[in-house]
Amino acid sequence: MNRRIKRIDELAQDIPPPRDLWQGISAAIEADKAAAAAPAQKQSGRRSFWMPAAGLAASVLLVALGVYIGQIIGNKRGPLDRGVAQTVPAPRNENTPELRHAKYTNQREELLREVNAKLATMPPADRAKVAASLETLSKSIKDIEAALGHDPANALLQELLVSSSQEEMRALIAVRDSGREEI
Amino acid sequence: MRESGIRFVTVLGALGVPLVALAGGGSVDRTVAATPNGEVEISNVSGTVDVRGWDKPEVRVTGELGADVERVDVDSSGGRTIIKVILPHGSHNDSDADLTIQVPKMSSVEVGAVSADVSSRGVLGTQRLKTVSGEISADIAGDDSEVRSVSGDLTVRGSGKPLTLRASSVSGSLDLTNAAGSLDVVTVSGDARVTMGDAKDVRARTTSGDLEVHAKMTPDGRVDAEAVSGDLTLQLASPGALSLEIESFSGDITGCLAGSVERVSKYGPGVRLNVRNVEAGPRVRAKTLSGDIEICNK
Repeated sequence: MNRRIKRIDELAQDIPPPRDLWQGISAAIEADKAAAAAPAQKQSGRRSFWMPAAGLAASVLLVALGVYIGQIIGNKRGPLDRGVAQTVPAPRNENTPELRHAKYTNQREELLREVNAKLATMPPADRAKVAASLETLSKSIKDIEAALGHDPANALLQELLVSSSQEEMRALIAVRDSGREEI
Repeated sequence: MRESGIRFVTVLGALGVPLVALAGGGSVDRTVAATPNGEVEISNVSGTVDVRGWDKPEVRVTGELGADVERVDVDSSGGRTIIKVILPHGSHNDSDADLTIQVPKMSSVEVGAVSADVSSRGVLGTQRLKTVSGEISADIAGDDSEVRSVSGDLTVRGSGKPLTLRASSVSGSLDLTNAAGSLDVVTVSGDARVTMGDAKDVRARTTSGDLEVHAKMTPDGRVDAEAVSGDLTLQLASPGALSLEIESFSGDITGCLAGSVERVSKYGPGVRLNVRNVEAGPRVRAKTLSGDIEICNK
């Protein structure tokens, strides 16, 4: 009765899960939101605990590629986009997704340091407003990553993750560079 | 008397000699000769910048200066006029400079400000207006224009003629009316409302703000809208049937064109609306994570 599967395309294309998976995913997202609102030390490592490793890895590499593409786009825009957008693309032999991700992470951390310094010079009301927006961006990326961790192949989530990550970089650069020419 | 004054500033401008309004407060009133379609660059940290296009081949700078303003440099040469408010190093309590700057109406204008509010009227050339926390209110008629702020609100009025315009704010809101042509709009947390005539290519993105686009699409027009948690409202009149590629991960899709919304998966979240019509016809693409999407062509 049970036929032996010899090729991957012999696998059934549509096997319904025994239950509605969304309830579990939704609960996990809500749990992640709650964890994000908790003190930092409590949430450290939590996301990687429940997020499937494959989904996380896919997300990370996807962002690396997306940001890399964003940098190339930024380079074509000219002098209005400075900073990270002007970084030189890596030589071909250093162009692996892992290295791109490492570069992205380093650039983002450097940008965050510069942005924090810039925020410190802003009037309190503006500082709070801008910081809240940057936090919104960061949180939106975490929300997308959380959903993508459970559904790594979801094209919509992949697209939103890439564009949100690029948008975060653009916003950080905009804040970092704000007022430079005028002061 | 007035004629000799104009001759004087014209000569100075032609020689490239910067005209300086000495300060420690007070007022400024300077005029320099300028090319009718030249470039005007203005920088001011705080106060206001009010740019107005006029028919004269001159740039005139008038205004009031705070006590801590050192001077205002006005330099015109080679088709470029540079107006710069100079502050001394150190802290300032009264560094506002409230400037009105009249420029030849065909000029390209670039304004950089920190907390200064910026307004512009009657300029027909390209405009690049940037502030950190100031608000921008501008009439934009020149192609390849850009308006952006970090935390300030943006109010932009197009001329109704097609042009390419980029408008972005991190935490400010955006209100754009009477635009046409190609538009790139980005906000992070601010709401954005766009009203435009012939929409050729519209790209709009927000993270958590709500985004509204009211447009009349051209026969080959494209609208591409994206939000994460913000809601999208798309009211798009079109000369032909719209092709739609609309999807939300956990939001809803509603509106008069939402008749054939389907679930992405039988067992997971997500809804989508895919309608394919004429390949070269008007197309709408909209995506959200959790925001709702309303789409209608009425």
